Amino acid sequence: HGGRAVSLCARRLWAVAATRGLPAARVRWDSSSSRAVIAPSAVAGKRTPEPAVRWQEDPDVEDENLYEKNPDSHGYDRDPVVDLWNMRVVFFFGFSVVLVLGSTFIAYLPDYRCMGCGPPHVYPRASASRMQEWARREAERLVKYREANGLPIMESNCFDPSKIQLPEDED
Amino acid sequence: MLKIIIPTTMLIPLTWLSKPNMIWINSTTHSLLISLISLSYLNQFSDNSLNFSLLFFSDPLSAPLLALTTWLLPLMLTASQNHLSKETIARKKLYITMLTLLQLFLIMTFTATELIMFYILFEATLAPTLIIITRWGNQTERLNAGLYFLFYTLVGSLPLLIALLYIQNTTGSLNFLIAQYWVKPISTTWSNIFLWLACMMAFMVKMPLYGLHLWLPKAHVEAPIAGSMVLAAVLLKLGGYGMMRITVLLNPLTGQMAYPFLMLSLWGMIMTSSICLRQTDLKSLIAYSSVSHMALVIVAVLIQTPWSYMGATALMIAHGLTSSMLFCLANSNYERVHSRTMILARGLQTLLPLMAAWWLLASLANLALPPTINLLGELFVMMASFSWSNTTIALMGTNIIITALYSLYMLITTLRGKQTDHVKNIKPSFTRENALMALHLLPLLLLSLNPKIVLGPIH
Repeated sequence: HGGRAVSLCARRLWAVAATRGLPAARVRWDSSSSRAVIAPSAVAGKRTPEPAVRWQEDPDVEDENLYEKNPDSHGYDRDPVVDLWNMRVVFFFGFSVVLVLGSTFIAYLPDYRCMGCGPPHVYPRASASRMQEWARREAERLVKYREANGLPIMESNCFDPSKIQLPEDED
Repeated sequence: MLKIIIPTTMLIPLTWLSKPNMIWINSTTHSLLISLISLSYLNQFSDNSLNFSLLFFSDPLSAPLLALTTWLLPLMLTASQNHLSKETIARKKLYITMLTLLQLFLIMTFTATELIMFYILFEATLAPTLIIITRWGNQTERLNAGLYFLFYTLVGSLPLLIALLYIQNTTGSLNFLIAQYWVKPISTTWSNIFLWLACMMAFMVKMPLYGLHLWLPKAHVEAPIAGSMVLAAVLLKLGGYGMMRITVLLNPLTGQMAYPFLMLSLWGMIMTSSICLRQTDLKSLIAYSSVSHMALVIVAVLIQTPWSYMGATALMIAHGLTSSMLFCLANSNYERVHSRTMILARGLQTLLPLMAAWWLLASLANLALPPTINLLGELFVMMASFSWSNTTIALMGTNIIITALYSLYMLITTLRGKQTDHVKNIKPSFTRENALMALHLLPLLLLSLNPKIVLGPIH
């Protein structure tokens, strides 16, 4: 009597589990005290498969996790050898060749852009950049020399006055 | 010039004839070597230009842009490797071919002597870019984006063709080097006004000027990463470069005609910076910030002073690298979260600290932190525009503040705060992504040590 009530409850629970998608029994269980039985559902095909919803947190099914097969992946390719060589190639040619050698090339570019070449005046015209570094070095050298020898750093005459030949004053 | 053009052309057979697992390695290696060769063009004379042939020349304006273009191709290839990994081999090779073709056209555009050749290649760059956007973009809006991109640029540039043919007929030559010396001042007649408009509108659309900028957010957002990179870094600079070339022929009319465009640019840079503060889409924010930075270049080119030209050139190079880097960062987020919405991927600093460092440096460069060349360019343009009219300092200052605001907003939203639940299982940063960011940032930082190579022909 009590066993039949329990078994009815058990079957009802099982039916609920079967129709509402709660985890179902995987193996058959027989109660030792009653005639209650829980068995794999015969209606398994009619249940919705689990998980019922896809969450945003789950990794996208189409996304391939490159770290799964190759934990040392550099992100270039699935094949570990190609991936490694691609990384090496990018780093060698990108950093060691172009950035380092290129920067060295740029750093050693001459500073004397062609002085005194080109037509007289054309818009636009670059002026201040010619031999700038030389001009600075030369100025520092001259200042040092003149200060050491007590000469004035600059004279107010642009040209040597003795070399200017003026015509005679005519009355 | 052939030492760059032929290797770039040969990248196409290299891609098609490579073994499937070697296409990326081969194309990246060889494009890096091509960029090394292009650095040699930075050895410029000050009065003259490097004249390679009747067809090509490079002067201190086009040499840095050339170096930027050739540097960008390997970066684009590295950035695209992940999202193309699922495609068939033929599609991958076609993508690389499109990028290489675009690179080829851009190289020839920046070094063209004859203005008609410049025009033809300027238009030719539209075709591969359109194919990249519409075929490999991710959302359905990409078709609309491609249409906007194509037709805005075409409608703007068709008058340019007519204007160039007219100039050829009246002046006798469109060889830029000769035209510089044959310039006659043009008077303020109606037909000359239309000539001025016809010449400039193509480049105004390309820059883009504020009123004509609608194609840019669409195209930048819908394009795949390589498309966004090349659009932001190089194609926008085509407009600036073209403007700097064509204004040589249009004096002194520019002094009067420039006013509406100056007003639009000055106002537009504030408007687009403010729009950035209201963006939810990360790529859209970076796209609008591009409009804002390019508005500064437009102002600089239109006021035509030596300092503004120096600032414009420096800004173009700086913005190219910074904007491309920001798009790569946004793409690294997109590949993990598959959404461009900023607030969906928050708090990434604790999960990806090295990537956060790159985000920080890129955003600092974007807001023109000293001593980057971004600051140099902005400062030069600000000072030149102040000398042109004192009132512009108020607008420029407001723009700088708002730029700082949205750069910090972008930084804080993506990096700081508590993570959203669903980003907790994102994959750590790949070496590829870190290398990509470093390859963007290091040239920028190295340039701040030696900016005179990017200061253009006036310096």
